[in-house]
Amino acid sequence: MAKIAYYPGCALNERSSHLDRSARDATVRLGFELDELDTWTCCGAVPPVSEERVMNLIAPSRILKDVRDSGRDILITICDFCYNTLKRTNYSIKSDEITRKRVNAFLADDTPERDYLEKDDSLWEDYAGEVKVIHLMEYLRDELGYDKITESLRRSLNGLKIAPYYGCVMLRPQNEIQLDDPENPSIIEDFVTALGAQSVAYPYRTECCGSYLSVSSPEASTRLCYRILTSARNNGADAIVVSCPLCFYNLDSRQKAISEAYSDFTPVPIFYFTQLLSVALGVEFGRQGFEKHYVDVTPVLDRIGINTGLGGVE
Amino acid sequence: MKRIGVFVCHCGINIAETVDVKRVAEEALKMDGVAYAQDYIYMCSEPGQALVREKIKEEKLDAVIIAACSPNLHESTFRTAAEEAGLNPWQCEIANIREQCSWVHSDREKATSKAINIVGTIVQKTRLNESLEPIPVSITKKALVIGGGIAGIQAALDIADSGYKVILVEKESSIGGHMAQLSETFPTLDCSQCILTPKMVAAGKHPNIELMTYSEIEEVSGYVGNFKVRIRRKAAFVDWSKCNGCGLCMEKCPSKVSSVFDRELAKHGAIYVPFPQAVPNKPVIDKDSCIYFKSGKCRLCEKVCEIGAIDFEQEDRFVEEEVGAIITATGFETLPVADLAEYGAGDVPDVIDGLAFERLLSASGPTVGEVRRPSDGTIPKEIVFVQCAGSRDPERYKPYCSKICCMYTTKHALLYKHRVHDGQPYIFYIDIRTGGKGYEEFYHNAEEEEGIIYLRGKVAKIFRDGDKTVVWGTDTLTGRNIEIAADLVVLATAMIPKDSTAELVKKLRIQTGPNGFLSEAHPKLRPVESINSGFYIAGAAQGPKDIPETVAQASAAACKVISLFSRDHLEQDPAIAWVDEDLCGSCRICISVCPYDAREFDEEKGIVIVNEALCEGCGSCVAACACGATQQRNLSDSQIKSMVTASLGGG
Repeated sequence: MAKIAYYPGCALNERSSHLDRSARDATVRLGFELDELDTWTCCGAVPPVSEERVMNLIAPSRILKDVRDSGRDILITICDFCYNTLKRTNYSIKSDEITRKRVNAFLADDTPERDYLEKDDSLWEDYAGEVKVIHLMEYLRDELGYDKITESLRRSLNGLKIAPYYGCVMLRPQNEIQLDDPENPSIIEDFVTALGAQSVAYPYRTECCGSYLSVSSPEASTRLCYRILTSARNNGADAIVVSCPLCFYNLDSRQKAISEAYSDFTPVPIFYFTQLLSVALGVEFGRQGFEKHYVDVTPVLDRIGINTGLGGVE
Repeated sequence: MKRIGVFVCHCGINIAETVDVKRVAEEALKMDGVAYAQDYIYMCSEPGQALVREKIKEEKLDAVIIAACSPNLHESTFRTAAEEAGLNPWQCEIANIREQCSWVHSDREKATSKAINIVGTIVQKTRLNESLEPIPVSITKKALVIGGGIAGIQAALDIADSGYKVILVEKESSIGGHMAQLSETFPTLDCSQCILTPKMVAAGKHPNIELMTYSEIEEVSGYVGNFKVRIRRKAAFVDWSKCNGCGLCMEKCPSKVSSVFDRELAKHGAIYVPFPQAVPNKPVIDKDSCIYFKSGKCRLCEKVCEIGAIDFEQEDRFVEEEVGAIITATGFETLPVADLAEYGAGDVPDVIDGLAFERLLSASGPTVGEVRRPSDGTIPKEIVFVQCAGSRDPERYKPYCSKICCMYTTKHALLYKHRVHDGQPYIFYIDIRTGGKGYEEFYHNAEEEEGIIYLRGKVAKIFRDGDKTVVWGTDTLTGRNIEIAADLVVLATAMIPKDSTAELVKKLRIQTGPNGFLSEAHPKLRPVESINSGFYIAGAAQGPKDIPETVAQASAAACKVISLFSRDHLEQDPAIAWVDEDLCGSCRICISVCPYDAREFDEEKGIVIVNEALCEGCGSCVAACACGATQQRNLSDSQIKSMVTASLGGG
């Protein structure tokens, strides 16, 4: 089975381990394996937007260089923040010679052997952006092909009305990310359709969930998430699908606060796209990590005849 | 030895601020062959030119060098001055110390020594310059106008009225262009049809104008005064010489095709005229939608046509014409609504563009002038107009201002209020730009008296919610975000050049700028000429502009053509390539490198000769010639060698 270099990132290692596990389960059924890097560090998360010129790029550059040095040229990520950080770092290194020199000077200096050995005869090769950073959904669309997913379906999601939610960092800035049109994307809609489910159009799919305001100004995030969830619900969605762990956190966990703040609010279940994939490809229930959700997702699956045997649903 | 005079221009402070002009003159005087040198503040002014003329006589100069701006600007000015003082014009040279020196440097010391160096190289060239005589070329006194919108119509009429023949080529089956689609025109609100259609008729009937509609330029060769043009007359599948325009075929045609003229707000048959006032008023069959062409059955139009004008066998024809000048007036189109992802990407039915709204306002439009929205035909009670939809947005769309939208959006809101008294128009704008006679007054009245709400800010998103079209915008004057649940949204989409223009300019070999609009020879002083001689430009193909400006430019272009035709013959610059017949090895490399088809093999002499009328003096063949047989007049190998030596600091 083809093995593709895979960078999980911090969230998928811990809080969003269900995103990680359902992705691994699903991809094996699609004929390839997510091959986690032997060693990896934090991607840096927010630093691409900082004013800092070098330090913010070191952690992601080190990860990318390791992938290149291991002889591979594709790196899959799933978390939108990791994807954004790694891809934009790669873009800067590739397109700006000064950045490339600064980063490599730092990385070279940082290599332990070169510090400790008197004579270093290992060849240093600058990292020049050779690795292609790919979002798992991008891989499914462009490398595997959505029709391949449709051919491999084991459970039908027909009847499930799903509202795609894009958030911010998956698509922006467009000239660096180039995954889809940030104003009118279709990659998640097409994914939902490939699974046999129905995608729901609503205006808030590319609006902000509040991101890190969740920490500094939770009520702002509560207000934004309320609008997103209500708009999806009013347009007929049974559930929302996301790929970003922070979006998931805001849209799912925050529904407790939303219910307290808005009396007319009806909860909306949130899926990771890999969970829907895992269900549709026939992975046994219990492995999707539905128990980690604040809003129970099993009733909507039950309604379309998918009995998970979880959450007290027959 | 030649006595050379050097005249150094300050160009106000343009040159003098960065270059020590007095020192340039002093140093020039020390150069071999320079008999006189002097600086002056404005050399191109009358006292400056008088100085040049006077010193040529006083100092008995054989040649002069003007150290000033680019030869593109004033070479001909100074050559004329030199000629008036009795010199051969080719004994006058320009040393460009402005564009190539003072404007691009800031270090005064270095710029001055560079200016001295530039003058030094030109002195070397001038020492060996020959006196030349211009080459006379005949002119075909017939013009080609490409594009039958208001620009093309106006230009054709002006040329035709002065007695010269004109061929007016239009891609569509009727002339009229976008102006025929408009309802009423700002700032006077006179009806567009009423002022345009008489001009269309005049163009159609003028004895000096040959209309070629439903036709496209296939190939252009030749040079100023003597162009050869191949024109494709597209098959209309209707014999226009027989057709009497009765319209029965169009009534009976069972196909339904969205009307491009009506911005897809109405349908017509596969056989159609774009609008009832078309000139010529003859139908064409749209092959892609015709049932007969698709399935081999139908031919209903043929059956009802009593005079037998329908001809399914018709094929494209090609005609060859000879003309002396070409005006390109191919106009504009607007950025498709489908390209504006944040404004619904063309999927929201009640989001339309300004031209579609013109059709809704037009008395001859699909709603006979009643404002009815496309989704359900109801009369909208709230309309949001969005300006700069794709304009002034360098990151995602077009960086430039489309210029006419502030005015036509105000006109739209006003005409809407006149039709729907209880309706509420909102206009989102960045700035209101109303430069033009009577424009500010028009806007002022609309804002103060007509109850239009102007909101200063951009619109972020437009989407459909039930039967409403929701607009999210911001009002930067109050700092508030605004949400309007509108019944109709009209986008003032960016003006862009017609997509066929890119293909056409390749055939004509004229230039376009970064946004695809035609380039003028000089942005201020030669606004209607292309840099290539014999080509003229007019209208919105050159850049966004309104009707008055378009008409003014069209008349200006016509005037340039008329002035060209008023001469008995043209004079070709003699500083072109020539061949030393004894040296030519007839390898013919020159033929393959010549971009102007000016090199041809002479069978009798067995050498490659230069067609002097076609040669532009680019020097490609001179550089390519392996045996040194081809030389350029006044840029010979020995001149270039001594110029290079001088520029490297040698003697």
